[in-house]
Amino acid sequence: MALLQELMDAYEGKIVKPSDALLHKTTTLLQDGMNARAFGEFEKPEALGDARWTDELILSTWYMAETGKVPDELNFKTGESDGGFDRLDFQFLQEDDWLEHSDAIDTKLPLNRRGDGKNEIEIDIPWYGGGMSYGSVSVNVMMSRAKNAKHWNTLMSTGEGGYPPELYEVKENVITQVATGYFGVEEETIQAAPIIEFKYAQGAKPGLGGHLLAAKAGEEVAKLRGSVPFVSLFSPFPFHSTYSVEDHSKHLDWIETVNPKALLSVKVSTPHDVDMVAVGSYYAGAHIIHLDGGYGGTGAAPEIAKKNIAMPIELAIPKVHKFLQKEGVRDKVTLIASGGVRTADDIAKAIALGADGCVLGTTDLVGMGCTRCSNCEGGPSGRGCPWGLTTTDIELQEWVQQDWGSRRLDNLYTALQWRLRDILRKLGLSNVRELRGRTDLLSYISKEAGE
Amino acid sequence: MLESAAHVGLQAPDGPLSLDKFGAESARIGREVADGYHRYHIDTEEVDDVNPLPHRFLVTVGKVGLAKLITKEAMTYFRPWDPHFDVILSRPCTYGVFSGPLGGFIPRPKLCVGCLRCEVQHPEFVKVLPNPELLKMGDSYTTHGHIAAIDEEAKKGMVPVRGQGYRGRFGGPGFDGMLTDMSEIVRPSRDGIHGRELIGTAVDIGSKPMHLSFDSDGKLSGSTPEMFTIQVPFVFDLPPGDLDSPRLAKVVESTSRRIDTLACLDAHTVAKNRLDAPNVVPVLDNAEAFRASEFPRARLIELRSTPDRPWGWDAGGFDLAREVSDAIIGIRIHFEEGWQDRMTKAVESGAKVIHLLADLHGRGSDGTFVTELFKEAHMILLEQGRRDTVTLLGGGGIVGADHVPKAIISGLDAVALDLPVLFALQGRSNGSLRQRAKVTGTLPRELDREWAEQRLTNLCGSWRDQLLEILGAMGIREVRRLRGEFGRSMVVRHLEDEAFEGIAGYVGGGS
Repeated sequence: MALLQELMDAYEGKIVKPSDALLHKTTTLLQDGMNARAFGEFEKPEALGDARWTDELILSTWYMAETGKVPDELNFKTGESDGGFDRLDFQFLQEDDWLEHSDAIDTKLPLNRRGDGKNEIEIDIPWYGGGMSYGSVSVNVMMSRAKNAKHWNTLMSTGEGGYPPELYEVKENVITQVATGYFGVEEETIQAAPIIEFKYAQGAKPGLGGHLLAAKAGEEVAKLRGSVPFVSLFSPFPFHSTYSVEDHSKHLDWIETVNPKALLSVKVSTPHDVDMVAVGSYYAGAHIIHLDGGYGGTGAAPEIAKKNIAMPIELAIPKVHKFLQKEGVRDKVTLIASGGVRTADDIAKAIALGADGCVLGTTDLVGMGCTRCSNCEGGPSGRGCPWGLTTTDIELQEWVQQDWGSRRLDNLYTALQWRLRDILRKLGLSNVRELRGRTDLLSYISKEAGE
Repeated sequence: MLESAAHVGLQAPDGPLSLDKFGAESARIGREVADGYHRYHIDTEEVDDVNPLPHRFLVTVGKVGLAKLITKEAMTYFRPWDPHFDVILSRPCTYGVFSGPLGGFIPRPKLCVGCLRCEVQHPEFVKVLPNPELLKMGDSYTTHGHIAAIDEEAKKGMVPVRGQGYRGRFGGPGFDGMLTDMSEIVRPSRDGIHGRELIGTAVDIGSKPMHLSFDSDGKLSGSTPEMFTIQVPFVFDLPPGDLDSPRLAKVVESTSRRIDTLACLDAHTVAKNRLDAPNVVPVLDNAEAFRASEFPRARLIELRSTPDRPWGWDAGGFDLAREVSDAIIGIRIHFEEGWQDRMTKAVESGAKVIHLLADLHGRGSDGTFVTELFKEAHMILLEQGRRDTVTLLGGGGIVGADHVPKAIISGLDAVALDLPVLFALQGRSNGSLRQRAKVTGTLPRELDREWAEQRLTNLCGSWRDQLLEILGAMGIREVRRLRGEFGRSMVVRHLEDEAFEGIAGYVGGGS
């Protein structure tokens, strides 16, 4: 009878934590399958990719995540969105003037430019991991990213979903996010973090707040968020305690009281007055102004918001950079860009447009297998990502094991850093910080030329 | 307190109100007010497909490859004492594509969402392909993407929500070249979770005087408002091409009544099918203006040009219609050469509603896109100091929920829907969808009225909710305030000029 029951459960696809044998089979097939595609052993899947993340961009990211090297056969630099980063290029020097490709090309980025006695944090690469909350992703994904952040002496944001206990193991590399629902915001999680990130808005759904669907708010998620299991959760827009820049300043004062050494990051979207918002944030005490552009990632957002509300990051960076310069405060604040930054080339272009560094989110997920099918929020199955990324389903989340995930990201970051250095040396720069605001090193591929 | 009770039409208690009765009386009034409370809302309800779109993906599975895999896995994993059925029978799909009675041997592609896990996991014998039948729907402007979105909205009545970021092109032509603004702090109200709950989407149709005049006795003199209100800033327009039919007219009429908006219908159809109603806008040829008297219940009647005078202004027809009808008389004006002059003359003659029409790709006869044309119309009236005395309706190229706020930002009061009706009702088009008169299409053979009404209601509910998202992000509390608010939009081309100026090779103007 037990065997029959087991047979029936298997036939019906009963959802349970996978056995070791199933785990081994599935992860082996998935990982081998990704490699087979990335290495060109099979043709590119016809349904893979979109204008922003083309099939080649996804496959090249898989390639880099497996090998730590950039591919020869795939376009790992740009998408086909017909604008923004995809129409910008670099004006490289003549080959004779290129620098040697070496580790001596400095990619470090200091984050505290205020000289105010708070944490002096310098990360080894000019990017860190964007917020993805526990609940929107599994602990395995969070820890894969966090471990990789530690390995690379960079950072990863918690997103707004609490602080799983496992994260304390790498707390020096974890940013605690305070967002409008205050989920998981506690004295300990603020005191543990080197940086506190205030999320005012998110590029993919600016001005709309967040919504974790009930199916994804399971027991563990609810426990960390202090909520009732399987009840959907709203993160309202905006902070109900903020009516003005003075109220914003009050927020930052509150954090300073709880953790006097922490750096303060303010994450905002990109409305038409984003330059004013940035300057206001600086004067309120922010060390980092984090702009999240309209084409950024999300676990769930109305389609109308993704496409239409607020501006793409490529257009916001120069606006803010120039305004901070005009105000005479550009060198006292770190400008971080996210929302549609996919590749090392995008990072370099964002910096050339005026950012100091970038935040990556989707790129990490693609490195771990994401095909951008857009079913993160649950999809018709209600279980979340079938690849085990944006899910807390007890079976699916096991497809991403922490060691494998962090190894993939390590490789990916190795390739990204290699390419960033490659760009810098071809521009004759020995330091990524020299690239900031150097729009003279960029060129625009006009539609006529591109075609 | 009692005054306010009387004010809201409640029964005041007999005799003076003592302090000890105050609480109970206050509660009673509160209850009565609450019982009589009505907040505008569109009731949506998921409905089944009658003529479903082709599914997004095709899934092919090599039967031999699958049989080999099962055999191999059975041999690898099966042990009598530990049969590992979970491993042998595991399927690489969480959506049920391979969960039919015969598993992967007969896949169910309609359930496929394109995650590609199966194809990556088993590259030797599984293939997922975009469905060419879906891709070829629509035309160069109204794409299969628009049609699929409308279909989903009309089916579920919900705001389409997905994971991952934007997947499309950077900016683009037409409405895609416009972005809407947001505020980091401001929101429509501090009530509710997101502050969106109290946003108003009602718009006024007709004319407001630019000022009020009073006589020496303090009584109102001069012109008074001549308008009525609809609850959403979109109306149903005449079905384009060969789609006009009595059964469609009846569906559109009942839906417009249900959601409190307007349905523009051919006057002959209205008369023949006895559809005259306050929510119906009979559309008459100018030459038949005298027939306006046949629609005594109509609040708005529209006149369209006679074929021999497509660009002229025939004041005679307008005057005649006004003479024989109490309804507001609106004028339909195509964006043909000289439309500005025609609009001005119509307004000078007393027209309170101007219904502007571009082709179904949103272009005027000179190729200008409607965002520019609507803006020009709005600015002409503004400069003439007449803007509030006229309602601007407009249509052409409105095939996505985001087009509604963008058209209103461009200067319209309300938007007219044409093609979305066809696709909401799971109709199919043939060929180009550019010229109104030349559109050919078919509606489902059995157009069940209840089903069709719910589909259109769902579409309207979804589009209204998406409008609320846009307004909420901006911190605007009513859609009337969005009209002509160019400052709350951003034009990608202008942003690019600002951002990329000075970069080698950038010449501006969307190069």
